[in-house]
Amino acid sequence: MTRRRPMAIAVAILACAAALAYLRDPPWLLSMTSGLREERREPAGKTVRTMAGHASFFVPTDAASVEIPLRGVFESEKDWPITVTIAIDDRPADRLTLTDGSWRVSTLRLPPPSGRRVRRIDIRADRTRSDQRAVEVGEWKSIRP
Amino acid sequence: MSRWIVRAAAAICAAGYVFVYASGRTGPPIRSDGFSYYVYLPSWFIYHDTSLAAVAQDCCGGQFPDFTAIIRWPGTRRWVNAHPIGVAIMQTPFFLVAHALTRWSNLSADGFTFYYQHAAGVAGLAWIIAGLWVLRRLLLRHFPDTIVAATLAAVLFGTNLLHYATYDSSYSHPYSFFLFAAFLDLTERWHHQPAWRTSLLLGLVGGLIVLVRHTNALFLVFFPLYGVTSAATMRVTVARLRRHWQLVAAAVASVVITVAPQLALYHQATGRSIVSSYGEFGFNFLAPQLWGVLFSVQKGVFFWSPILLLAVAGLAMTRGAARGFLLPAALFLTVNTYLIASWFDWQFGGSFGHRGFVDALPVFAIGLASLFSRAASSPAARAAVISVCAVLIALSVFQMLQYWNGVLPFSDTTWPQYRAAFLRLK
Repeated sequence: MTRRRPMAIAVAILACAAALAYLRDPPWLLSMTSGLREERREPAGKTVRTMAGHASFFVPTDAASVEIPLRGVFESEKDWPITVTIAIDDRPADRLTLTDGSWRVSTLRLPPPSGRRVRRIDIRADRTRSDQRAVEVGEWKSIRP
Repeated sequence: MSRWIVRAAAAICAAGYVFVYASGRTGPPIRSDGFSYYVYLPSWFIYHDTSLAAVAQDCCGGQFPDFTAIIRWPGTRRWVNAHPIGVAIMQTPFFLVAHALTRWSNLSADGFTFYYQHAAGVAGLAWIIAGLWVLRRLLLRHFPDTIVAATLAAVLFGTNLLHYATYDSSYSHPYSFFLFAAFLDLTERWHHQPAWRTSLLLGLVGGLIVLVRHTNALFLVFFPLYGVTSAATMRVTVARLRRHWQLVAAAVASVVITVAPQLALYHQATGRSIVSSYGEFGFNFLAPQLWGVLFSVQKGVFFWSPILLLAVAGLAMTRGAARGFLLPAALFLTVNTYLIASWFDWQFGGSFGHRGFVDALPVFAIGLASLFSRAASSPAARAAVISVCAVLIALSVFQMLQYWNGVLPFSDTTWPQYRAAFLRLK
């Protein structure tokens, strides 16, 4: 019993270390998003996801740039404008003021590849409309060098 | 055997939790009431803000969603959350682990990404298992191990407790379940051996009970009324409380200190320390929906968890030292039922069974154990009770799966709907 306990503790520590090493940079992050609703397809064929105040997603770290189509959700002229800020790994990267219902594309130049497989893109809107809708996000494109 | 049951319960609840989310049976854990209970944590630890304004800006563009119970207080225009801070306090260790993992994995540290979601979900599951563990310790003082094992299994699988350990684990009920079990355990220990440590723990648990759900303050009657079964025992209890008045004062002070941060938050938001955080909503004491709450197909607690009828019968049969719980149990269950039935939304919104009674399951467990104990002395009664309980447990688990599959509605179930869905999984 006394010899089993240190063994169990050692195994638990090793398992935790292995799990942490894996979770540092897991491959499934690329498919993970937050703050974005289910995809819907517009009549023109464009895939759109609506966000509230804050959304995030990941892009490959070896991409040179990323293009993100954005469109404000407006119900009346008094709703204008919506200010959107975009950050790459928590560093400010772009700021757009959406003043009408047309699509705008934010093109972000990504920093050189880091030790991780992915970079995180955060989009924040300064306000929302009814039903927690602020901005519609189109299909983002990662552009390789 | 009861130790094995708690371990098996943990494994089954964990499997159920993984199934619910891996199969997409429901949305992420921080949803509906779970959002309002949890939202304090990102506000305190990430935005260093007690007003909820910063988290409202980041998550929701400045306005909390309509489904939350968070309103702007008239006059001050500050956010007031109808759901108090107790759940968030008990989720804190899980939240901090999730926050560290989020930073480590470079997910967005906004309080609502993957690890935060499942920290909130797993916290509820863990507190239910902790509650079962404490309940086991309490019951073992009065009943044999096999009776305790059967009781724990019946409470978890024969009621909606399993649902609140898995599908809706971010609600307040798992936390109250643990706290009620702990308060019963500590109350009994205090009355048999009054001590400073037990007094302070009683105060802490009592304070958390109030912080998780304010109306559950009613549960604190167990402390002064425990052991009262006659006029003579009442005199003994009063004498004991007076003899140990310093310990009682310490427990009361511990409750006050635990509750104080909530009062400070209310004061910050409204200018007053005591407020009705539900705003215009409240109780309708002149028209309680007693039939609906107890027996209706909509949400009747005995309709959806009929095994609790056995528990009520068992409470009346309680013998020995466990009879000390009888008077406060009767008082609490009666007044609590009246309160639930008087609430403007007596169904408590969407839920499997009536969620208002999940908190009190440790009290019902004493009744179930008493009934099982009495039945164990006669082979015929034992066979009958085992058969009835097996059927009721199977029915409860099956109906929970129906609810998960969307076969049963979230609320307002009608008799034709129930009949049409009976024993149908899809």
